[in-house]
Amino acid sequence: MELNFILNGKPLTLTEVDEETTLLQLLRDRLGLTGAKRGCDTGVCGACSVLVDGRLAKSCRTPLAQVDGHEVTTIEGLRGPDGDLSALQTAFLEYGAVQCGFCTPGMVIAAEALLRRNPHPTRAEIRRGIAGNICRCTGYQQIVDAIEAAAAQRLAQEGEEDG
Amino acid sequence: MGNLRYVGHEEVRSVDGWARVTGEAKYVCDMTLPGMLYAKVLRSPLPHARILTLDLAPALALPGVVAAITQADFVEHGNFGWPVRDNYVLAYQKVRYQGEAIAVVAAETEAVAKAGVEAIRLELAALPVVGDMQAALDADAPRIPPATVETDGNLGETIILRYGDPEPLLAASPVVVETSYDLRHQEHAYLETEGALAIPEPDGGVTLFANNQSPFINRDIVASVLGLPPQQVRSIQPHIGGTFGGKDDVLYECSAQVAKLALLTGRPVRLIFTRAESMLASYKRQALRVQLQLGADEHGNLQAAQVEMLADSGAYASMTPMAAWRATMHAAGAYRYQAVHVDTQVIYTNNGYSGAFRGFGNTQAAAAVEMAIDELAERLHRDPLEFRLQNCLRQGDRTMTGNLVEHEVGLAACLEWVRERSEWERQRARYASQPADAPRRHGIGVACYFHGCGLGGEGTDFAVSTLKIERDYSITLTSGLTDFGQGSRTVFTMLAAEELGVEMSRIQMLRPDTRTAIDSGPTVASRASIVGGNAVRVTAAKLGQRLRLAAADLCACAPAQLVRAGEQYVGPHAEPHSFEEVVDHARALGLQLAAEGRWEIPAVEWNLETGTGKPNFAYVFGAQVAEVEFNPRTGWTKVTGLWAAHDGGVILYPQGARGQLYGGIAQGVGYALMEGYLFKDGVPQRTDLRSYRVPRAIDLPEIEGTFIETRLNEGPYGAKNLAEPVMVGTAPAIANALFQATGVRVQQLPIPRQPRA
Repeated sequence: MELNFILNGKPLTLTEVDEETTLLQLLRDRLGLTGAKRGCDTGVCGACSVLVDGRLAKSCRTPLAQVDGHEVTTIEGLRGPDGDLSALQTAFLEYGAVQCGFCTPGMVIAAEALLRRNPHPTRAEIRRGIAGNICRCTGYQQIVDAIEAAAAQRLAQEGEEDG
Repeated sequence: MGNLRYVGHEEVRSVDGWARVTGEAKYVCDMTLPGMLYAKVLRSPLPHARILTLDLAPALALPGVVAAITQADFVEHGNFGWPVRDNYVLAYQKVRYQGEAIAVVAAETEAVAKAGVEAIRLELAALPVVGDMQAALDADAPRIPPATVETDGNLGETIILRYGDPEPLLAASPVVVETSYDLRHQEHAYLETEGALAIPEPDGGVTLFANNQSPFINRDIVASVLGLPPQQVRSIQPHIGGTFGGKDDVLYECSAQVAKLALLTGRPVRLIFTRAESMLASYKRQALRVQLQLGADEHGNLQAAQVEMLADSGAYASMTPMAAWRATMHAAGAYRYQAVHVDTQVIYTNNGYSGAFRGFGNTQAAAAVEMAIDELAERLHRDPLEFRLQNCLRQGDRTMTGNLVEHEVGLAACLEWVRERSEWERQRARYASQPADAPRRHGIGVACYFHGCGLGGEGTDFAVSTLKIERDYSITLTSGLTDFGQGSRTVFTMLAAEELGVEMSRIQMLRPDTRTAIDSGPTVASRASIVGGNAVRVTAAKLGQRLRLAAADLCACAPAQLVRAGEQYVGPHAEPHSFEEVVDHARALGLQLAAEGRWEIPAVEWNLETGTGKPNFAYVFGAQVAEVEFNPRTGWTKVTGLWAAHDGGVILYPQGARGQLYGGIAQGVGYALMEGYLFKDGVPQRTDLRSYRVPRAIDLPEIEGTFIETRLNEGPYGAKNLAEPVMVGTAPAIANALFQATGVRVQQLPIPRQPRA
């Protein structure tokens, strides 16, 4: 099949795509974007998380038909145009939310999806927002700290821009 | 510590964070090479069987299959293992657990490799399965270990501890608790599954990228089963997605397999486990069955303990004898006794196989004794926290192995801290008076622990580090100890910068590589910060001394007169000199700007025959309080509060230390409530992350944690260890809280979910 979609802000047309391929396989094996990880292949660990039209999706369970004509954002697409880290990524570093790092790309994506949906989440809402993502290293506490801080910073920035 | 620039500073950040948060960090599963082949493993469908037929021809006949191997492709059938050489990189004659690797196929694509595995003709003759430790000891039980290993049937090893004579003391104790516990297997569930990539080298050797914990051991095992000198096997660690003790033996197997295939085909070969494979084939935390007798006098002073343990090693020994040794050395907990005897048997079964996992035997031992101590306190009508404070180890006391603790002990302070922060007395009283028919029952419980530093009697405990000043004035650092997410690269970088008085950004720590680093033994036992950290310090001190000589010469003063202002060297007379100027001058003087340093933990000795000696040179301590909510209708337990205090000496890297604390506790919550890796007649019942649940963010409460700082003179800047022991107190604290909530004592971990409405 032929596949047309927007990947990290750039329109992309791919030919000779096997329909059976999952989005995760396409990203990792054909496009060389290895930020999204294979943790379970059954959609329970969240390491493969990406955004499809701004909403959280497990790319290991996303058939390509669901991507055709849509917009996909991976961890590689979160940084600014000059390569700067997003506020969320910076907060992950500042709050010690990264240990082995294998869950981190998916976790950052899940947090991004949450903040787009709910810009001012409580800590309990943050925990629910990342409940589809397993982290075996951190016990989640510093991840919740990071997301909470990034949310506050985003709101402050928007306030400045509005004012 | 006011004059330290990095040690103990909140501002220090992970040196690997940037690569990981951007998704740019390459793990072995992210690495591909031109011409690379994909490997897939044929695994045993049965827990115990004789191999009758193993025919690779149908696989090799498939287009796209390039090679396939069995045990016959390795020296001595690929036999390996330490301390017991009972394992094979591919099954030889028999399979002893379900999921054991039998053959490996390398092919042009993963799909073809899978088809190749399915094409292999395998015929097995089922043998009787030994799924129970008691049954394994029956005289007529089928023998599991190979005949080449000396055992008494399925009894692998017996470990004893003899301190005083507990029998008369127990007989004379007015209150004795006698109880037993059944502690089940636990799966590591590191988010990155096992994987290795082998690249053939022109000299006939092989380079490995593997996510193992201990690259030097991997190198030596792979070299030995391939029949190569160790120098011809190079093992490099890429970024690693968590290990928790779980990436040793299973990685040696898979590294040897891909290395052999790379040599046979002359092409790079990569093998990455699927999650189901990882859960089936990797080793686990060993199940332990514990029988405990604890006695106290009428004043509530602990008198004696007698403990018997059975450790389920599964099909192979792996690290279970060592973990059982550590369990034995901690079986009566962090208390003063007059006498303690422990007898531990390590038993072969067909229940997968077990090895190292965070806490290394103490997770089980501490869980058992802390539940028993709680019961004893109750029988004495004493508050469980107060009872622990009365009996817990303090500086100058003797441990349960009879050894004097000469260093500072923060245990009582840990208990006091969790008591205050959890509002222990108030909550305890509140829950004591809750109505029996409440729709939700609440409880609060405590546990404390100690944990011997370093390998102890488990092995020689040393590390080596190197430092070199490069032409661009950056400094290259190596260590033989490694980082798989726990943060030791950050700690080593920080210690080198601290000792040399330079910016952390000047230090480039190389990835662990057996070609560039120096063998430092295994990266286990939470020893990296103490042993590896001291090695870095020693090395940096050597290099720093040479730089000071050069700086003193430049500043025309004695080295002792020099002070540092940032990176600059300042003498009493002349202008300050930059680091670069001092390095240039040192070079001009012909001083060597590379150094190597080694550090070894103070020697300890344990006599396995008499069960006496000194197991560890020092201990860490801690206490945790858990608060739970129990739903009698569903049997569901939710942890609603956790308070944790850990005495890890001086904390080097506070942000990383807190991460270890929270992460360890999360694994402890899993161990207590959800994570039983269960076998039924040797068949694993949960081999995916849907049925085997690990804690998610919603399963955990907000954790309040702290570090009680003491000073260990031998540790770098006074530091002790923390990564493993922080999980040790969690499960028993939850179990003890659940007792207050329900009035029922926990005898099994994970705690069975029992509706009581």
